[in-house]
Amino acid sequence: MAQHRMSSEAAQTAAREIGRLTILRLTVYYVMAGILIMCLSALLPLGSIGPIPAEPPADMQGAIEWFKGQVAMFPKGAPVWLDALFQMIAAFLLVLPLAFVYVRTRTRLKFDHSLIQTVIVLPIVVTAILVVVRDSLALAFSLAGIVAAVRFRNTLKESGDAVYIFGSIGIGFASGIHAISVAGVLSVVFVVVELALWKFDFSAEFERTFARLCLPSGADMADVPGYRDEPAPAGNGAGQAHPDRDGAGRSALLRIYVDQVDAARPKIEAVLERDAKHWTLEQIVAGTGNTPELTYRVRARKSVGLDALREHLLRDAAPHVVAADAPES
Amino acid sequence: MSTLSPPVSERDHVVGPADARVTLVEYGDFECPFCGALHPVVQAARKSFGGNLRFAFRHFPLRSSHPHALASAKAAEAAGEQGKFWEMHDRLYRRQTELTDTDLERHARELGLDVDRFRGSLGARAHEVRIREDLASASQSGAKGTPSLFINGEFYEGPLEREAIFAALARAALAVVP
Repeated sequence: MAQHRMSSEAAQTAAREIGRLTILRLTVYYVMAGILIMCLSALLPLGSIGPIPAEPPADMQGAIEWFKGQVAMFPKGAPVWLDALFQMIAAFLLVLPLAFVYVRTRTRLKFDHSLIQTVIVLPIVVTAILVVVRDSLALAFSLAGIVAAVRFRNTLKESGDAVYIFGSIGIGFASGIHAISVAGVLSVVFVVVELALWKFDFSAEFERTFARLCLPSGADMADVPGYRDEPAPAGNGAGQAHPDRDGAGRSALLRIYVDQVDAARPKIEAVLERDAKHWTLEQIVAGTGNTPELTYRVRARKSVGLDALREHLLRDAAPHVVAADAPES
Repeated sequence: MSTLSPPVSERDHVVGPADARVTLVEYGDFECPFCGALHPVVQAARKSFGGNLRFAFRHFPLRSSHPHALASAKAAEAAGEQGKFWEMHDRLYRRQTELTDTDLERHARELGLDVDRFRGSLGARAHEVRIREDLASASQSGAKGTPSLFINGEFYEGPLEREAIFAALARAALAVVP
């Protein structure tokens, strides 16, 4: 039976590396961004922000007068456009670490480059909207009407990606209402929590998470009465699919091409019992017109490795197995 | 359906056991982007099918549209003379934008070949004859473009996608009683 016991080795292998360089880069970035924002806010007299200016006159003389009026607001108050620019710069600076963390924590398959661009641009737009709306109830209703009229529909690659969108909106919102410190805190907390969840692969395996959260220290799922009797979804009752988060490259979806499903399956599963730490049968393709295939989610034992496991399948389950493909690799 | 002619023999560049259940033959051009895209699929197939697959490569340089194709084919042959055909084959496919004469010499150097010997054998008549024979066999087998694949001697007409190719290879393997 495949092993389910939580061990320090398992915990270690599940962990991902966050190098010192990553932490150092983020820290230096936040310090520099903080200094820049503080300098900007010290330069700008944001205590009193002027009214939204009228359009500058079309003639040259009128435009010069308009510009003089804007400059004359210093040092008593900043023109609203300068204030907006400052808020947008702050939002931009504070959202960049989110984009960095997104890149750091995603695999190539899950990576969505348009999401990164969205996450970076979104807080700038949100900030601008809030600067325009300010305290106007009428403008707020107009905005709600516009948003209701436009349909935004997009399927995200990962449900977790939505969190980045919300984080980005949060930073934009806070910046737009001059709560830069809140935006900064949100950015830092988001980055820390997201990196921690990724590093510890939190909740990736049901057994490990359940044992950690719900059982006494040192106990595992084997101690839960009746757990073994739960119906297995397929296969040997391993009952869990390890997601394709495989820092060590030992987890994979294996598509195995066979001659006959019934003849091949026991041989394949004997190899998996021996060489895999966890495995689950995910799909069987059989029937006329199809090449019979068995698809397993597999995590190879550390001492074996995925490549050797595939070789063992070809060798030990021959002649029934003709190929063991890892399509995600 | 077109059939491979002549069949795979000792003259071919072959990797994999002679008694493999499936033999995959590629007519390829090192400058062809579709061949370049197919290369990782073939690599994956070799890994996934293990000893069940034998892979052979034949040259099909499309000189009219790919100015470096012939020189690259000769470079692969010249590397083969020093026992590194497959290393050069893989390298050329991975670096399809680096196929000038200078690049080819650099590839040879980086693969640890004797560069003087490599340079000397680039123009060897034997390589030209071999490439011409491969071209003639492509035309005889009904291959009209690159990449053209033959699975157990039969022309593969399906899409050049991993899943489709793997399924075709598996079908061919299962059709052979071990």
